[in-house]
Amino acid sequence: MVSDPQAILVFKYIGYIPQEVAVGGRKTVNVILKADQSDLNEVVVVGYGTQKKVNLSGAVDQINAKALASRPVANVAQGLQGLVPNLNIDFASGAPGATAKINIRGITSINGGDPLILIDNIPSNATELNRLASQDIENISVIKDASASAIYGARASFGVILIKTKSGSQDGVAVSYSNFLSMNKPTVIPDKITDPYIYSRLLELSTNNTPWDNVNYSDQFYQYAKERSDDPTIPGVRINPSDAKLWEYMGNSDWTRYFMNDQTYSQDHALSVSGKSDKTQYYISGNYNKQNGVLKIADDYFDRYSFRSKVNYQVAPWLSFGNNTLLTATRRENPSQYSITGIYNLFPTDFDKNPDGTWANNSVGRTGAQLTEGGTASDKFFSLQTQFNGEASLFKNMLKLNADFTYRRGADNYDEYTLPYKIGFGPSDVREEGNSYARKWTSFDDYTVLNTYLTFNESLGKHNFTALAGYNQEYFRNEVNDTRRTNLISASYPTVGLATGELSSTQVINDWAVQGLFFRLNYIFNDKYIVEFNGRYDGSSRFPSDKRWGFFPSASAAWRIDQEAFMDGLRPVVSNFKLRASYGSLGNQSTSNYGYISTFSPSRSGYLIGGSLPLTVTTPGLVSADYTWEKVNTANLGTDLGLFNNKLNFTFDIYERNTKGMLANGRDLPDVIGATEPRENAADLRNRGWELSLAYQTSFKTAKDPINVSARFLLSDSRSVITRFENPNNSLTQYRKGMELGEIWGLHSNGLFQTQAEINALDQTSIVPWGALSIVPGWPKYIDRDGNGKIETGLTADNAQDLAIIGNSSPRFRFGLDLNASWKGFDVRAFFQGVAKRDYYPLDYLYWGFYQQPYAGGYAHLLDFYRPNGDSPTDIAKHSQSYINAGLANSNHDARYPILQSWLADVNLGTNVRDAKGLAIPQTGYMLNGAYLRLKNVTIGYTLPASITKKWHISNLRFYVSGENIYEWSALKKFYDPESVNVNDVLNPQATNTNRPGNGYAYPWQRRFSVGLNLNF
Amino acid sequence: MKKINKYIIGVALATLGLSACKTDFLDRQPQTSIGTDNFFNNEQDLKLYITRLYNFPGTGIYNADGGTDNSPTTGVLEIKTMMVGLPSASNITTGWNWDRLRSVNYFLDNFRKASLGPEVLNHYEGLARFFRAQFYVEKVKRFSDVPFYDKTIGTNDNDLLLKPRDPRSLVVTKIMEDFAFAAQNVRETAESGAINRAIVKAYQAKFALYEGTYRRYHSELELASTAPQFLQLARDVSREIMTGGKYRLYSTGNPNQDYLNLFIQPNLSGNPEILLAVYNESGIRNSGWSETVFGNFEVSPARDLLQDYLMKDGSYYSSQAGYETFPFVKEFENRDPRLSQTYAYPGFNLLNVRTYSQNGGLYVQQLAKNQSGYHQIKGFVNDPSTAAMQTVDVPILRYAEILLTFAESKAELGELTQSDLDQSINLIRNRVGMPAMLISPMIDPVQNEKFPGVSGAQRAAILEIRRERRIELALEGYRFDDIMRWNAGKLLEKPQEGIYFSGLGKHDLTGDGVPDIILLSSSESIPVVKEKNTLGKDLIYYRAGTFGQDVGVFLKNGNSGTVQTTVQNGKFMEPKFYYRPVPQAQVQLNPNLKQIFGW
Repeated sequence: MVSDPQAILVFKYIGYIPQEVAVGGRKTVNVILKADQSDLNEVVVVGYGTQKKVNLSGAVDQINAKALASRPVANVAQGLQGLVPNLNIDFASGAPGATAKINIRGITSINGGDPLILIDNIPSNATELNRLASQDIENISVIKDASASAIYGARASFGVILIKTKSGSQDGVAVSYSNFLSMNKPTVIPDKITDPYIYSRLLELSTNNTPWDNVNYSDQFYQYAKERSDDPTIPGVRINPSDAKLWEYMGNSDWTRYFMNDQTYSQDHALSVSGKSDKTQYYISGNYNKQNGVLKIADDYFDRYSFRSKVNYQVAPWLSFGNNTLLTATRRENPSQYSITGIYNLFPTDFDKNPDGTWANNSVGRTGAQLTEGGTASDKFFSLQTQFNGEASLFKNMLKLNADFTYRRGADNYDEYTLPYKIGFGPSDVREEGNSYARKWTSFDDYTVLNTYLTFNESLGKHNFTALAGYNQEYFRNEVNDTRRTNLISASYPTVGLATGELSSTQVINDWAVQGLFFRLNYIFNDKYIVEFNGRYDGSSRFPSDKRWGFFPSASAAWRIDQEAFMDGLRPVVSNFKLRASYGSLGNQSTSNYGYISTFSPSRSGYLIGGSLPLTVTTPGLVSADYTWEKVNTANLGTDLGLFNNKLNFTFDIYERNTKGMLANGRDLPDVIGATEPRENAADLRNRGWELSLAYQTSFKTAKDPINVSARFLLSDSRSVITRFENPNNSLTQYRKGMELGEIWGLHSNGLFQTQAEINALDQTSIVPWGALSIVPGWPKYIDRDGNGKIETGLTADNAQDLAIIGNSSPRFRFGLDLNASWKGFDVRAFFQGVAKRDYYPLDYLYWGFYQQPYAGGYAHLLDFYRPNGDSPTDIAKHSQSYINAGLANSNHDARYPILQSWLADVNLGTNVRDAKGLAIPQTGYMLNGAYLRLKNVTIGYTLPASITKKWHISNLRFYVSGENIYEWSALKKFYDPESVNVNDVLNPQATNTNRPGNGYAYPWQRRFSVGLNLNF
Repeated sequence: MKKINKYIIGVALATLGLSACKTDFLDRQPQTSIGTDNFFNNEQDLKLYITRLYNFPGTGIYNADGGTDNSPTTGVLEIKTMMVGLPSASNITTGWNWDRLRSVNYFLDNFRKASLGPEVLNHYEGLARFFRAQFYVEKVKRFSDVPFYDKTIGTNDNDLLLKPRDPRSLVVTKIMEDFAFAAQNVRETAESGAINRAIVKAYQAKFALYEGTYRRYHSELELASTAPQFLQLARDVSREIMTGGKYRLYSTGNPNQDYLNLFIQPNLSGNPEILLAVYNESGIRNSGWSETVFGNFEVSPARDLLQDYLMKDGSYYSSQAGYETFPFVKEFENRDPRLSQTYAYPGFNLLNVRTYSQNGGLYVQQLAKNQSGYHQIKGFVNDPSTAAMQTVDVPILRYAEILLTFAESKAELGELTQSDLDQSINLIRNRVGMPAMLISPMIDPVQNEKFPGVSGAQRAAILEIRRERRIELALEGYRFDDIMRWNAGKLLEKPQEGIYFSGLGKHDLTGDGVPDIILLSSSESIPVVKEKNTLGKDLIYYRAGTFGQDVGVFLKNGNSGTVQTTVQNGKFMEPKFYYRPVPQAQVQLNPNLKQIFGW
């Protein structure tokens, strides 16, 4: 009971703005605390220390564990996708345990360069991130500019991600358990032609229109196809009428769906026990995660166990020691003869099993036999990492000395074996095919990290100084042993030791070391003006001894305008306003371990000499003496603005990043040199971009409880241009000065040729695939941009002939929108993510089907192809009803796709400007819009009222249902998952990589529907 | 006490940091590959490196006549692309690869670091120069004039990088120097599968014959006068191998089987005819044998080749009245026994049904569009076991070829005698029970028409030696090179044809007089209930027609005539198509590389 009417009550609650209320004699006081949306006093983890967010002068974002915890993600990277502007996270496949590609601010260097990821101060990579239980994370900082990352020197030029795991923070014991179970199904599976008659006819037609004409089905085959098409109840396998010893097949299925499950399940359990007493802090956790893959007929899963133990002990008031140990074990199981591409490429006319139950004598039967009987592959990874750390506070906390030492041992044991399998050729003709072998592949990592640093902090009146200096060294060694032996004695013991055939064995050892001395000086005047210098003197084993060391400095400054007196009047509106600027020069050592050393590598001869395959060595490649760091200069300007008591927060950064002296294959030399050009520091790149985030938070009063609503929108962009490259002719098959990365050179479509006269008027012979297909009505027609009567693809930018830049494959304007609302115990979240601009030119079977080559599937969208004439009544009489119904017997001049010619879109000729022919040359008519918007997540949760749970000694109990990858808006969705092309980022114009990733050939992405609970005692 | 503690810890941490600051901490050398300073020290090193340069064909040779007059193919083939398309330096771009040359020259630049005796060093130099000769042989075949390099090129050697083409005569002189050195210094004996002196000589003679005949028949080179020196070399080197006595033709005295067996051996090691084979062992080095040899995949043997086989009595097949319209069964009657050891003959029993054709057992030639209807059994493992297929060895250099080289070079030099024939061609004929060839045979008008360019005193013998070469080496990948060196590219223009059918209706293909197949017209449809032949087997139905019709087999006249395989063979432009252009992109990098012969 407060009796003094003058008394002032102060209401404080974590996460809310403290409020003072004069009691004024009232008996009851109702106070509504406003949520403190600013998080301004939040402490942000930076390199070798922490800073208050409000005092940051660099471009740093921080994500709280809450953003990850409320959503059932198996992999931290999945949860981070779309949460930070310009933190770009893509996956190359939807496979269980797939590792993310993580990038900050777009293209870094033509040699790549990923952000440095540190988990509790230990450099890690995206794979290790995959092994981290997301429940253990306390917070994540993303450092995007040079200022804050310079302290990490040569590996931090493309940003830093700092992850801090949880520690015991509450007095007593806190126990937390959470789990989820999810049901998964593939997002998009290509829409195949499954009608056997249509498929066979079109496949044959596609080769009839070429000089090779190599698919020629017999009349008997078509008769069977027609019968089966007209009446699908007829069996898909029968005794071959012309040879009773063999089976004959006529399938009518999309075999991709036969092998891939429509429903798979995943589960995750996490338990932690943490607490604090006066001298000890501890956090112990365990996590189990299992993700099942899509394969229907054999084991296909990923599971992970991880355990963490973190203790800290205060030896003396000024001295503490701690240990942080992590143990992870992951396991990936799948059949050894497992090819996603192979499964996508199956013919619908093939069949799975013979009437006697044996696997059929065709690709589907063989795939089935290989997956079930052909052996398995098991990848077991185990890692143990332990860190000892100590902290001494000296001179009344003015000086702090930290040291930590980490050792990590990773052991990867991969066991693979194959077995012969049985294929039924005919009713009494079952044969064994395939070879048996066992393979043991092991990889051992040893990694040590040592950090020591001294921090000085002192405030004198309005002056605040922080100085930090330290030393870091790391050594990494990896050893891979690969042993393989053929001819297993018994299928029950598929090991190398129990095989009798040829034994082959290789060993590869790699190591690298870095050393660095670093410092930071920070000065803040009157909480208004902030200046900071960071720097590092860094050495790497990856460069020759005279070019090994570099100094990487940065500087930054910030001005907190809102603290100025002249802003006083505006304070009700402008609650936070800061301007930031930074500049720094860092290194990039992302190159091979021994790139400057010329060596002979061992390899096995391809010829039997004296009865065995002898060992040989390769010819050493060319190396250059001019070989050192790439240098990355980054300038950043940013502002943070908080309005209306920080209800509305706005952050904007603009930057320019110049990567200088990129290691490139120098000048394009004539092929007579007989080797790849040596790599030299020969190229420069400029990357410019910006990012913004907009957050709004409010609560509405209702009769009883408030509704809290928040929204956060992120948008970012970046573009990269080559600013130096030795390419005097401006060749289009090489990087060149002024080239924007991702640009697509192609032809402008002018529809399809309709008449021979049109063909005669335009010479397109130079773009004919293999120089041998006939240009006939229905062939793609192009715009003759240079007006010389010929369609030609020039080889240089100055004389590109009919080529022009028709698009850009770099993702632009990536965005995320995170909407949250809560009312009483209910919470709802909807999260959208996407790319607003991107061009994608399709290649390969999954889009082009028969037009690629006649060896894999056809797709429903291709049915609208050019048909010069309708079929004669004799031919129509032979067709199945489905063929006639689909209009395929009629002419089609106004077609979306050209005349059906195999090899017309053949990617195997090569994909670069010099090699591509026909429809493998990008053109405007078939360019796809690669932009997408995806409803990434919807979660609805309910937390039981504390009044109920308290009775059960439960402090918090929340149930939720959640959906992942629920829906997407995208032009690509007709063909493949829109995210699958994100990894189609071959930037090198020289590359003529025909099976490059990202043409849709990926392990299917998954839609996940989960239920879960979070429980805290 | 506290203070001391602080002091100790501070110092300890500082020392830990500094002690690690040694300079060698950052010195990391590869441990599983060998630095360039530590190699070429002993003979083992030289051997490791040289073995990498081995480069010989495999079972692919049995498909390699595709696109010549020996066999049509539906596959993508450069020469076909050139003849039917519009070839240019921007779309004919293969073959300009120089990595192997650098590997050889790298060895030659460095191997003498090893302190070994001259015999050892010369042996390895010989091997390296043999591989360099092999490399340039392939370059000369495609490009004629090519820049010659006998050392590795550095990135700054602009005079070498931007060098123009060297004339063929210079390059060939260098090739011959390399061969001569190798033939002098490579050791006489080696493990099976490894290069020995006889192998070097065989390749030397092979190329000498190639170059000698090429220069004689290709007037565009203006080198005809230099032809004899190469022909003499071919003669002398092949004679050396013959008189060396190490090799002889493989024969067990069974003329109807020996020739066929040579190509389906699980182990050719020790076979007296084999100078060089590519050895295979299932599971260690699989032969890569594929079912495409027999079946209707891409390649099938042509009728033109079949007609070149002599009659068993040595007379010309073409001397038989009406031979152009002989049905399939009759084509095999009384022929050179090699025909039925190369082509699937009437009555052939198919055991390995894992092919691109249907039907096992007594084989009924399966017809298909674009295929000749004939089937190849040379190099075909007629055994369904995977292990048998994967273990089969591939003969790369046979003694028979040496004999053919000897005879041809002699004849081209105009000095062939009956005794020469008896030591060479007639040994080959004798193995298969064919009568001996005489020094002055009667001229076969068919053969005469094929090679109008052959002149000189021994013209008739040359024509017959060319026939013998075609028959003996049929479908082993020799035909294309032979046509090129004989300046006979026009032969590629003739459409390759297949089996002759007198008309629609029933035909016997197994030789028992009972019909096996029935040809219907393009407008008829195949009945559901098939007619049976007198043996009680269903007749196999095909609808016949012409190109563009929806039928099972194309016949010349739609309902009769020879089986047709290609709509058009295109035009062989002479002399242009005997050569290939330097890829356009390379000309751009080195403008001193000029195109020749109309490219």
